[in-house]
Amino acid sequence: MSPEVLHPATLEETLTMLEAYGEEARPLAGGTALVLLLRHGLIAPRALICLEEVSELQSIQFNEDHVWIGAMVRLQTLARSPRIHTRFPVLAMACGEVGNIRIRYQATLGGNLAEADYASDPPIALMVLDAIVWAQRAKSKRAIPIAGFFHGLYTTALEPNELIVGIQIPYPPPGARMAYLKFRTRSAEDRPCVGVAALGIFEDGGCRDLRVAVGAACERPQRLPEVERLATGRSLDERMIRLIAQGYADQIETLSDLRGSADYRRRMIEVHVRRALEEVCNGGGAVGASAGR
Amino acid sequence: MAMKQTFELRVNGRIHRVEAAPDRRLLEVLREDLGLGSVREGCGIGMCGACTVLLDGRPVSSCLLLISQVHHQEIVTVEGLGGHGTLHPVQQAFIEHFAFQCAYCTPGFILSAVALLEREPDPDEQVLLEYLSGNLCRCGSYLNILKAVRAAAQGRKPPSS
Repeated sequence: MSPEVLHPATLEETLTMLEAYGEEARPLAGGTALVLLLRHGLIAPRALICLEEVSELQSIQFNEDHVWIGAMVRLQTLARSPRIHTRFPVLAMACGEVGNIRIRYQATLGGNLAEADYASDPPIALMVLDAIVWAQRAKSKRAIPIAGFFHGLYTTALEPNELIVGIQIPYPPPGARMAYLKFRTRSAEDRPCVGVAALGIFEDGGCRDLRVAVGAACERPQRLPEVERLATGRSLDERMIRLIAQGYADQIETLSDLRGSADYRRRMIEVHVRRALEEVCNGGGAVGASAGR
Repeated sequence: MAMKQTFELRVNGRIHRVEAAPDRRLLEVLREDLGLGSVREGCGIGMCGACTVLLDGRPVSSCLLLISQVHHQEIVTVEGLGGHGTLHPVQQAFIEHFAFQCAYCTPGFILSAVALLEREPDPDEQVLLEYLSGNLCRCGSYLNILKAVRAAAQGRKPPSS
């Protein structure tokens, strides 16, 4: 049976509908993932709540100390926005690697997070940026740090009547260097076998802060703070890079699917964490601009 | 549960009244209800580009869109390109460069190229591949397709003195 499709014009209307339908409704953002889930019979909601016309979800705002990205902002907009590229190059790179251009012109950042597919690029970049996912329901609103947002395969911290309204990202310190590497094993438009995001902040030749996130090889994107801290106050030289790459390969519990076995992914994590760190070190990774407006 | 509804679709500059279930795919509506045979189903999962249409100028896969999502937006298919008896410059370039064999993928490639040239009148090779790499051609006419799109881009540039 066909679900009915509702067309709220405001956020308030949307949340009222979500409250009324509860688990029987699904928000419909770009639809690139949801339409396939419907067609394959993996979900059969009574109603779809189309977010296309909800104006509160559509904008990017550069605020004093953070950017606000509305849940309905499309991946292509993020990939091509000069201001996103300057301040958050790792996010622009990751969004620009998703699927093909048609997917990027239709899929949204909020929809991407809500789907929580493990083999996805943007969540990995958001991990090193310490992004905050804002979720709202009829009478309350809460901030979910990205590190706690993904619970596992296709599952998130969202409650059934909660909607992602936007993503808040603090400006990284001036001079932060970032890189995103996507490793594919099949075709150009494929989802990643392994994705690695890295962000480094350097001071007097030493590393003040290092953040590395690995995804697509495991159930949810992960950072390993104790491994990241090995670099704190030290030079990110070849030996250190190999130590960190080894740490990620050893400690991340990898999964097997048609893009690669768990063992293969472990080896590929080591290779791609190393390459991402080399890019960050050599300045090949784009340089984030200074904070503020 | 939802029954059929009436939608007013804006396709190729005309408004069409369509009776459809709200979760019917745009691909099916365009082909079966409006008879626009240039929109083709290949993979059905947004990877091959045979069902590409322009939605308010954006290239998108019509196999991944529900009719309910698009009824306020302007849809363009290859039938809507060009004028009376004349071809769009991208179509003309495809003919001149033999940019097809079986031609199943051609409408999708042409719309991707049109979307590219609308945004990037003078695309570099990287942007060209960004727009075209999502369309698949199983005959392998890629080299001629790239020649055609480069030629169409050249044709749009003002002549340099």
